[in-house]
Amino acid sequence: MDAPSASEAGDGGRPARRFGLLAVASAVVVGLLLGYAGGLLTPTLTRPGDTSAEAGFARDMTTHHAQAVEMGLIAFQRGSDPEVRQIGGDIASGQQGEIGTMQTWLRSWGLDPTGSEPPMAWMPGGRAKVRNGLMPGMATPEQMAKLRAAQGRELDVLFLELMTDHHLGGIHMIQGILDAGSDEDVLRVAQTMKNTQQTDLINLQNALKRRGG
Amino acid sequence: MSISTPGGPERRPTVVSTGKKPAAGRPAAGAKPGAGKSATPRQTSGGKGKGPKKPIAPVKVSQGRAWGPIALWVAVGVLAAGIIGYGGWAVFEGSKPWEKRAAEIDGIVDYRAKDEKLVQGGQHQAGTIKYDINPPVAGPHNGAWQNCMGDVYDAPIASEHAVHSLEHGAVWITYRPDLPADQVAKLRNRVQGVEKTMLSPFEGLDKPISLQAWGYQLKVDNADDSRIDEFIKTLRVNASVEGPTALCNQGITATGTTPRDAGNMQQG
Repeated sequence: MDAPSASEAGDGGRPARRFGLLAVASAVVVGLLLGYAGGLLTPTLTRPGDTSAEAGFARDMTTHHAQAVEMGLIAFQRGSDPEVRQIGGDIASGQQGEIGTMQTWLRSWGLDPTGSEPPMAWMPGGRAKVRNGLMPGMATPEQMAKLRAAQGRELDVLFLELMTDHHLGGIHMIQGILDAGSDEDVLRVAQTMKNTQQTDLINLQNALKRRGG
Repeated sequence: MSISTPGGPERRPTVVSTGKKPAAGRPAAGAKPGAGKSATPRQTSGGKGKGPKKPIAPVKVSQGRAWGPIALWVAVGVLAAGIIGYGGWAVFEGSKPWEKRAAEIDGIVDYRAKDEKLVQGGQHQAGTIKYDINPPVAGPHNGAWQNCMGDVYDAPIASEHAVHSLEHGAVWITYRPDLPADQVAKLRNRVQGVEKTMLSPFEGLDKPISLQAWGYQLKVDNADDSRIDEFIKTLRVNASVEGPTALCNQGITATGTTPRDAGNMQQG
């Protein structure tokens, strides 16, 4: 008497439980697949890649900045004019700090400091602006040798001239990332770089006038 | 509330008991209907002569029922482990540390693995230093480094300064002085304008070209060898003891194999 009703409950319950198990199992599988796909996609969506404009900018601007640091330290150490020494130290320490920021980006993006593409390849028409490996505004080895050998007022003037060209080229590259980039932090830092170099330019020009360059 | 709550437990046991009764009665009564799908053939086979063993057969059925979920969960587990494993492997392969990638460069010699003490760094020493490996890849060095701002030196430089540059993350490319000019030009193109690199001839090389980074060396025969670019990409800055902000400027820019005092850095 009880058996029929019990069997109904039993028959009705077990397939339902199986179906539930199957649903849970497939939900777990689907969830894992979705999570995996998301995990795969998220870094490439949120992190600049090896050939991105951001990575190219971080690498090339590091190189560009490194030379400004070299010129700035020469002026800081051996400039004859107090303001030239001050400007040199300011630019050298400021840009060295920015190198640290840019290198930290690359490391956090899981990228090497060295790219696999030629310099300036990230910027439209950029490759054509590289001469003997030098990016816009960079001093040639001969100009650097001249700066190292210079003394007194000659050094002051040469530094101010070379740094003016360097900043003009630098601002050109910064504009490149402001146009092509999308990473918010990169854009914010790039804008700060641009502002700094533009005010530097005014001070460089005024100092150059004063030193009679 | 107080009325309905006691009423609940009273009802529940009846529900539970009806649920349990068939479960307990499965062996006996469940054999007929509970068989439904799978037990029917067993029932017929066992039912021929073995009527009294009916209680055992349903027990087997219930065991059979448990295998389904177990197999399912094993399958899900294997699949999940596979997915997670593959994901982990893909992530690992995608962001291999530079040390692993360096080890995969054909012909590279890793002195970090060979001599831990040699690659410690920070050992400043004045005057001439004798290096066992030439060109040297690490070890004690002069307090002044060789300028490594993409400098192209057309004459040999002091190893005592160059090793300091390696410590700062530079890749130092050296070539045998008899290397043809067009080959030298190809090396120069890789160095010019690239800070944390420098190029110089080196006397007594056993191969036409030798590349050095802190603790690493790779010797190749030809400037067209793609391993040169691989070496630079993998080890430039990465191999630095002091990180990416260690200076390459403010170094010795003069050539000559005799080391100079740190005080003479800006000369030449």
